[in-house]
Amino acid sequence: MIDALRDWKDRLLGRGNASITVPMFDGALKSNSLLEDATVFAALDAPEDMATDGRWLFVADGPTVLRYDTTATDACATEAHRFDCPVTALACIPGGGLAVALDGRELRIVGGAHDGRRWDAVAGKKMNAVNAISASPDGRLFVTDGSRDYPWTRWQHDLMNLGHSGRVFELNMNNGGARELASGLAHAFGACAAGDAVWVSESWRHRVMALNQGQGAREATDPLPGYPSRISPAQGGGYWLTCFTLRTQLVEFVLREPAYRKRMLAEIEPQYWIAPALNSGNTFLEPLQGAQLKMMGIVKPWAPPRSYGLVIRLSPEGLVRYSLHSRFDGKHHGVVAAVECQDNLYVLAKGCGRILRLSVAGAERSLRS
Amino acid sequence: MSKMQTEHNLATALSGVAGSPAPVEERWMDRVTRLRYTYWPDHVLGEILAKRWMETAIPVVVLILVAFALSQAIPNFLSPTALSDTGRQAGEIGLVVLGMAVVMIVGGIDLSVGSMFALTNFCALFLMHVLQWPVGAAIAVTILCGAVLGAFNGILIGYFQLRAFLTTLITLIIYRAIYDLLTADYSTAIAGGLPNSKTWDFIGSGEWHGVPTVVYVYAVVAIFGHVLLTRLRPGWHITAIGGSRRSAYNAGISVRRTVAMCYVASGVLTSLGGIFFASRLATAGGDIGVGLEVTVLTAAVLGGISLGGGKGSVMKALVGTLIVLLIVNGLTTLSLSGGYNRMVLASILLLAAVIDIRWLKNRHRIVNKVYVSPTYHNVPQAPSTAPDCGTVWAVNDRLGAATPIGLGRIEGPEDVILDRDDNLYSGSRHGDIIRFFPPDYQRMEVFAHIGGTPLGMAFDRNDNLYVCVGGMGLYRVTPSRQVEKVTDETNRNYWSINDDSRLRLADDLDITDDGRIFFSEATVRFEMDEWVIDGLEARGNGRIICFDTNTGKTHTVIRGLRFPNGICIASDGKSFLFAETFNCSVKRHWFDGPKKGSTEIVLANLPGYPDNINNSSDGHYWMSLAGMRSPALDLAWKMPGFRSRMVRRVASDEWLFPNMNAGCVLKFNEQGQVLDTLWDFSGKNHPMITSMREHRGSLYLGGVMNNRIGRLKLEGVDPDFIQYDRRWRKDK
Repeated sequence: MIDALRDWKDRLLGRGNASITVPMFDGALKSNSLLEDATVFAALDAPEDMATDGRWLFVADGPTVLRYDTTATDACATEAHRFDCPVTALACIPGGGLAVALDGRELRIVGGAHDGRRWDAVAGKKMNAVNAISASPDGRLFVTDGSRDYPWTRWQHDLMNLGHSGRVFELNMNNGGARELASGLAHAFGACAAGDAVWVSESWRHRVMALNQGQGAREATDPLPGYPSRISPAQGGGYWLTCFTLRTQLVEFVLREPAYRKRMLAEIEPQYWIAPALNSGNTFLEPLQGAQLKMMGIVKPWAPPRSYGLVIRLSPEGLVRYSLHSRFDGKHHGVVAAVECQDNLYVLAKGCGRILRLSVAGAERSLRS
Repeated sequence: MSKMQTEHNLATALSGVAGSPAPVEERWMDRVTRLRYTYWPDHVLGEILAKRWMETAIPVVVLILVAFALSQAIPNFLSPTALSDTGRQAGEIGLVVLGMAVVMIVGGIDLSVGSMFALTNFCALFLMHVLQWPVGAAIAVTILCGAVLGAFNGILIGYFQLRAFLTTLITLIIYRAIYDLLTADYSTAIAGGLPNSKTWDFIGSGEWHGVPTVVYVYAVVAIFGHVLLTRLRPGWHITAIGGSRRSAYNAGISVRRTVAMCYVASGVLTSLGGIFFASRLATAGGDIGVGLEVTVLTAAVLGGISLGGGKGSVMKALVGTLIVLLIVNGLTTLSLSGGYNRMVLASILLLAAVIDIRWLKNRHRIVNKVYVSPTYHNVPQAPSTAPDCGTVWAVNDRLGAATPIGLGRIEGPEDVILDRDDNLYSGSRHGDIIRFFPPDYQRMEVFAHIGGTPLGMAFDRNDNLYVCVGGMGLYRVTPSRQVEKVTDETNRNYWSINDDSRLRLADDLDITDDGRIFFSEATVRFEMDEWVIDGLEARGNGRIICFDTNTGKTHTVIRGLRFPNGICIASDGKSFLFAETFNCSVKRHWFDGPKKGSTEIVLANLPGYPDNINNSSDGHYWMSLAGMRSPALDLAWKMPGFRSRMVRRVASDEWLFPNMNAGCVLKFNEQGQVLDTLWDFSGKNHPMITSMREHRGSLYLGGVMNNRIGRLKLEGVDPDFIQYDRRWRKDK
């Protein structure tokens, strides 16, 4: 009763759960244009995920897995594998071989010692939207399944329907075992072994969770200004975390407006929703926010973005050390993966279908100055 | 009204035809929403709250309610006798409240008024009853006594900078102690000796035309006080010190002396009240003036005099006094004991103080939150503009070939116009009319400076350039560059809370053959820089106004339009076409001929927001779409509650807005057919087009948020077309 009254008061006054405040880009999150200025390493049709074994860069592009030699001066791709459905997640297994997720519904090992092993259900429930895989040296795979309600392509539907059916699995390549580590997550998207724990991005709750066996879950990062996606280890300790788009007050507000949200889902095509997107500015039918009005031929780069590019460098403790941005007026939006290889950071900007490359040392130097 | 109604129904019907997937129940809900927002004027609240007189209005309403309630509860409560009696008390206490008001406005408080009242009452009685002085001398000395008592406060607080609250609390005790000592010695003598003075009796119980003496004195003092506070230097000094002591000091006001004088004034006014009280009741009992400070403070705060200083008026003091007196008298008549009486007063004081502080602090914030009041607006699904849609609306890149004029040198050319010498004129957001010179339009100059934001333009028969200026009204620039105001006001609509007689956002105009100028005023609720917010509100806030150059009179022709914008006289010379931007339609209104007074829809359900309309060389019309509709906003237009919550919760930079970053130019005819569209698909050159003008085979493009004018060569058009030469038949 008291809870109901409090909720009602919160809704009336816009406080508590009804508040739409979004963390600011402050301190280590201060915006820059490093991501926008990064070198375009490759442009692809439907890139989905990236993985590296320290020399080769593997890229899931539609139904194929491409392989790039990162030591070569020019980006030259060779087709490593081809499947009959899109590859939605990719990981390099230490000691050789790849783990791939096919159409989000099946996980398969190709090459290496465990070649041919496959899973399509965990804890009695079918995989539905597998979107990230992380391999640990002891033969385990950490896998996130974004949603049990919507396929991987329809993540906007999951967000706007307040989905919370994501799961995290631990798969054992040695014996084929499978275990559910967590369920009921608001869009699990990205996992990475971190010491004893596993870090998992929970996109719709804007946080990275540390799942530790026997100790339950805790928040590994502060509330994030964006929707986090995949996590990969960084050289010298810490992690690379990507945010595929930013939170905006308007989207937060719409998420708290059930009547409008339901009619929007029913009556409007998804690309014109008030919802985050991987890219924007494709048509004037997209919703426009006040600060996005073009004045004297210029749009403000700090306007509330429908799509954005953001890579966050996390310390081993989960603190933000620095961040790379492509702002509202940029193109390199919808960043879903970042891996470090041969002192370079490779960033997959799905919004524009590009793989970007930038020198980690160079970026850190320019941020210090 | 009925016309708008049918239009709504039409729109609802059309949305059904368009095959909207909304289920039947929801359309029923839409209807409820529409009726709710049509007949309940949400916007009135914000407009009322924004009024200055709101500060006094609430106490006045309270007064009326209290008077009504008590007159119902108590028979004869408002009878002439009762009123006369109330008038006497009101006069006495009212004078004290005025003194308190002055002290409060200067930023202080005077708690010693009760004790001063008792002491001056004693002083008058002692002089009249015991010493048997003449009335004049007694009054003068009593007033002097009050001044001295006030001056003691004033010197301590003004010059020695003691805290007002503490000081007057102490003098309250001291004065009360003196009073008690004196009454102990003289009360019998006062009760014994009656003064034999008709004047003294007249002061106490005299009436003139049924109104007690004290009321006249009060009226004189009040009027003087009002003039003092609002019109005279000392009054302004008092308000300034109360508003900000430091600023007042820095401005050179003698703060200490003024503050001290306010306490003296309080003492004098209290002594006046004391004199009337003494002459009326002739008593020096122990409880006189006890708790008076609470009554007086309650009256002042209830009237709306701010405890923080700097805000207050005589009117507020009067209203507060009447409220308190009516309540006290009413409670007494209802035979409540004095203790209850004071408890009620104290509770009211507490409540009033809380409301005073919260209200004054938050009023402007509340106004900000409630001023934007969205309403129901249903537009059918927009026609497709996809490049492959196969209709005239298919997006193309024909405006990509437009060459820029004045790139980066002109800001905000809402409208462009050319004269017969090919000079190009445009407004700018700096309030200038800029002239570009042919043939290459590289050279430019400020043709005239008007101010405001020049918008729509037209030439009359004598080559005067008429300009609608946002924020100012309708202006005219003569060929010799003289700027003249044409009109800046129209007849006031007495149903409007906002004073809509002044023009806020005159937008576009055209001129009839007989010299009438029809111009649109986009909105009467928002200023030039907030015009897009009007689209968020989607209410019919705009109107079309006519200025007659023959009579010099201005009158409103049509009201309740959703952002009326471009205007162009139609081919018959008896009607004009006008764009209704946020209604996404073009209408035609007849001002002469057999269809005079009627309005018809020419174009409905446009995919964007129409702006200026001008003639084309082939007898049709050019019109620009300043922005394009988005499905998300179309849906939000049907859900006013969603938008009003958004306005309150979300920062204005993040509001869902009409998309003004894309647009097009189209050609249409009077039969309502769209003949052609020109787009800038890449959106680089002319993201927003608010106006276009065909001139000698080229199309010139303006945009209110652009930093350039565009020029596009047209194929297969009359190479000699000059719009206003043809209009005034000078081209033959």
